[in-house]
Amino acid sequence: MRAASKGDFLLRLAHAGGLLLVIIILIFGASLLVPNFLSPFNQFTLSRNLGVDIVIGFGMMAVLGLGHMNLALGAIGACAAMAVGFGLQTLGLPIPVAIAGAIAVGAMLGSLNGILVVRTGLDSFIITLATASLYFGLMFILTKAEAFRELPVAFSALGKGRIGSYSTFLLIAAVVGAILIVIFYFSELGRQILATGANRTAAELSGVPVNKVTIITHALSGAIAAIAGVMVTARLAAALPSIGEDWLLPSFLAPLLGGTLLAGGYVSVVGTALGAILLSVLQNTLVLLNVSGFWIQFFLGLALLIAVGLDRWRVVQTQKRGMLGR
Amino acid sequence: MKSSSIITRMLRHEWLPLLLMAIAAIIVLALISNSFLSTYNLFVMLRILSVTSLVALSQMVVIAIGQMNLAVGAIGGLVAILFGAMLEIYGVPIPAAIVAAVSIGLLCGALNGLLIAWTKINGFIITLAMLSVFTGLTYGITKSIPFYNMPQALKAAYDSYLGPVPTILFIPVLAALGVGFILNWTRIGRHMLAMGGNPAAAELAGISTTRTMIFTHMLSGGLAGIAGVVAVARLGTAEPSIGADWLLASFAAPVIGGAALAGGHVSVVGTMIAVVLVILLENGLLLARTNPFYVQFFLGALILLAVLFNQWRVQQAEARRASSRAVLT
Repeated sequence: MRAASKGDFLLRLAHAGGLLLVIIILIFGASLLVPNFLSPFNQFTLSRNLGVDIVIGFGMMAVLGLGHMNLALGAIGACAAMAVGFGLQTLGLPIPVAIAGAIAVGAMLGSLNGILVVRTGLDSFIITLATASLYFGLMFILTKAEAFRELPVAFSALGKGRIGSYSTFLLIAAVVGAILIVIFYFSELGRQILATGANRTAAELSGVPVNKVTIITHALSGAIAAIAGVMVTARLAAALPSIGEDWLLPSFLAPLLGGTLLAGGYVSVVGTALGAILLSVLQNTLVLLNVSGFWIQFFLGLALLIAVGLDRWRVVQTQKRGMLGR
Repeated sequence: MKSSSIITRMLRHEWLPLLLMAIAAIIVLALISNSFLSTYNLFVMLRILSVTSLVALSQMVVIAIGQMNLAVGAIGGLVAILFGAMLEIYGVPIPAAIVAAVSIGLLCGALNGLLIAWTKINGFIITLAMLSVFTGLTYGITKSIPFYNMPQALKAAYDSYLGPVPTILFIPVLAALGVGFILNWTRIGRHMLAMGGNPAAAELAGISTTRTMIFTHMLSGGLAGIAGVVAVARLGTAEPSIGADWLLASFAAPVIGGAALAGGHVSVVGTMIAVVLVILLENGLLLARTNPFYVQFFLGALILLAVLFNQWRVQQAEARRASSRAVLT
């Protein structure tokens, strides 16, 4: 058991190391070839977008650990963004209370996903596809698609915060990451989530309350999506109903690039963060190279293909070597 | 077997409750709104049906083998703008352009299938990546500017009548018949369902799951391509945004129609009725002058209700089978 987890750790390290190497080469190349890459302005913009991308990736990663998906991530982000806008502008709540309220809304919507998955026994894909439509629709109906633009200055200042030339959003992402590391690697709940993801029946037989774990994980995913929604609201200094519409691709890209499995049972928090870094740096470099915004999606898709292809190749090679060794 | 009341007999045909729901919806809408049965409104619904039915079938065939094609809309969009470019820039005759456009759809689908076969990576991830690649191509090529100058003949053909019947009614009918024929009466169709039901068993029975899978993705790409062409004819412009909102509808109809996402079981009739039901829902909300945002909410609710109903139906069927087995032993 001890040896297995040590081997597991080494494999994880090797994967993260490979990804890190790619990122370092990319950053090195970008700082040499792209004139404005290292400018303080670009460093700030890049790190701010990166902070959001990392948190979005974490939101999907949490349910991937369970072997589930959350296609409603963007919809929950939008609901949370509008909730924080409503709380600040219409109700005039203090900023921490409004943020806590938005996160609670996210957790609630997430747990509703979990409850539906557990109660119906249906695939989380179809449930969250339906609830994404449901949540977006509900939010549109309640807000009449009107943005909240008169947010307190202190709130939008959150999106302007700096540590050196980097955005404080990175710090938020790091805190969320640290909490997830504690949950997934050092807590009973995390072990139960991963056990359920690896083999639901076996987990249930060994006494894991799989239904409760499923609901909690979806609630966690919803809460993280809400944090991302609040971050975007602070960055835009406005709560727009269109927030979250384009989260689908990055939410899957970051964890999958980072080695998290779609099948469940294994997550990599550091890998997800690295995946998001690769994504953001690549995107930023393409923008600075004056690649038309229209082509960027093409290259991101290609990047995902290459990354998963390489990962697959690595696994096949490892298996071959393992067989030769025997 | 006296107990086979009307309800249980109905439950056995999974699409019958759907059909009753659709008929009920039609009656209610006809009673509520004067304009519902107007020729104009029926034609509006038929125009939506001509595209959405193809989108639903395109997804349904992939669901049949237990996979997903997230790139249905992206293929439709790419085919649409290439079709538009052929007509506007290169002046290709319409029939040749249609053939070329559908071939591009087939090619895109083949690419999806080959990538899944080569890499052995989950189809969900591959088609998610290809969604991004195809959409990126569409926007990169057009720089987000639609092709506006479509030939008049295309629009005229779309709006034409064969006797009293609008030509576009034939699109969903022929597509459904074609897909139904492939699934029920051809070898490759049986292979598709066998693979969806149990890939390992299908492989052991001598079915090449790789070939079946690539064929299925080609079929899906071809149908998405036809949907893209029809969408261009319907709009009268080749817009790069075509296909961007197909994802939900593509899954909604097959799933409401009784398809199992795990594969092996789909219903062409159910899917088509589900498409009609979704269009009736949208049309009803439109006629009732509700806020357009309600459509999305109710569509989500409809999907949830339908999958819950299907689940309940399957459980009922299993319970009946279990009880009859108990009587026999």
